Amino acid sequence: MSAPALLALFAHFLSLSVFATGGGMALASDMHRYVVDEHGYLTHTQFINSIALAQAAPGPNILFVTVMGWQMAGLPGALATTLGMSLPAMVFPVLISRASRMAQFNRLIRALQRGLGPIALGLMASTCFLLTRETPGPWLGLACIAASVAVLTLTRTPPVAVILAAGVLGAWLPW
Amino acid sequence: MAVDPPRRPSALAAEDLPLQTPGSAWELFTTFTLITLQAFGGALVHIERAVVHKKRWLSSEDFFGLFAISQALPGPTGISFCVLLGDRYFGLRGAAAALAGFILVPAVGVLTLAALFQHFQQLPWLQGALHGMGAASVGLITVMAMRMSRGLRGERVAMLVAALTFVAVALLHLPVSAVMLTLGVASVAWAWRLVGRAPP
Repeated sequence: MSAPALLALFAHFLSLSVFATGGGMALASDMHRYVVDEHGYLTHTQFINSIALAQAAPGPNILFVTVMGWQMAGLPGALATTLGMSLPAMVFPVLISRASRMAQFNRLIRALQRGLGPIALGLMASTCFLLTRETPGPWLGLACIAASVAVLTLTRTPPVAVILAAGVLGAWLPW
Repeated sequence: MAVDPPRRPSALAAEDLPLQTPGSAWELFTTFTLITLQAFGGALVHIERAVVHKKRWLSSEDFFGLFAISQALPGPTGISFCVLLGDRYFGLRGAAAALAGFILVPAVGVLTLAALFQHFQQLPWLQGALHGMGAASVGLITVMAMRMSRGLRGERVAMLVAALTFVAVALLHLPVSAVMLTLGVASVAWAWRLVGRAPP
């Protein structure tokens, strides 16, 4: 990937992060649009693999952008996506220590939480929709998704156990 | 700066102990490394246990206040939280230490894993395993969305905003930035009035 393309990648993730509400996963549909649909840096399978690996490994799920960047352009790519995604989260907290003396600070925080909650839900649902629509199989993939939703809602199995079990099962399935 | 009352009953024994401050930036780094290595999908519970119960750096109320601010600020919540907490004790050095602890070791780990998978990706069973893990990840994201929607049950305006966001992003493929600058701003403005009316 050329230097201008890397810079553009960094800028895109930076601009997305500013609008990140409800965690990085909510932004996956927009990332997919940029990285897979518009620029073809990754295939859809590589895109999903990044999410699966980050969720199966310890650490914050936001690291799926690190894996994505690494798959696109090695270490520079990983730095571009990861720094782009985390830079706002490093800058705003430092600024906020001044804003917290503002008269209506608590009201602002509550309004942001309440106002952005439904947006986060809409974004998360979009991510689900996109990833479900292009599932491999597709019937086998859909069956796996349905099974994991059932296990996660009906039992108290930790998410990582479900993902690892699905990996073992997936190795045997005729995709 | 408490925003919401603590949602989870905390152990009274821990609550009675006096609050401590971290001894050094290094302690912040190691604490957050330990937290993150236990965190598979959602670090909130682990951060609370370490910071509120084990280390006593924050009271339960302070924790949820700080967490609420992290959620409201732009950028991933976990990262904002590390920076806020670290900055409180050792300024920028503390912020950098907490954040590095939170993402450095797992980033190396997940990249090693990705490199291994990429190296052996021709193996058909490995691709199958990744398909299975990917499908389970989608299931996990679906469950997270379901939990989020439960919190908004009965709030008509909020559900409408969520539905409009879905239509704009999933069906019309509009950029998230465009949605946030229109619908997001309108939704926060609406919440601002609502929050002002309700007793604090």
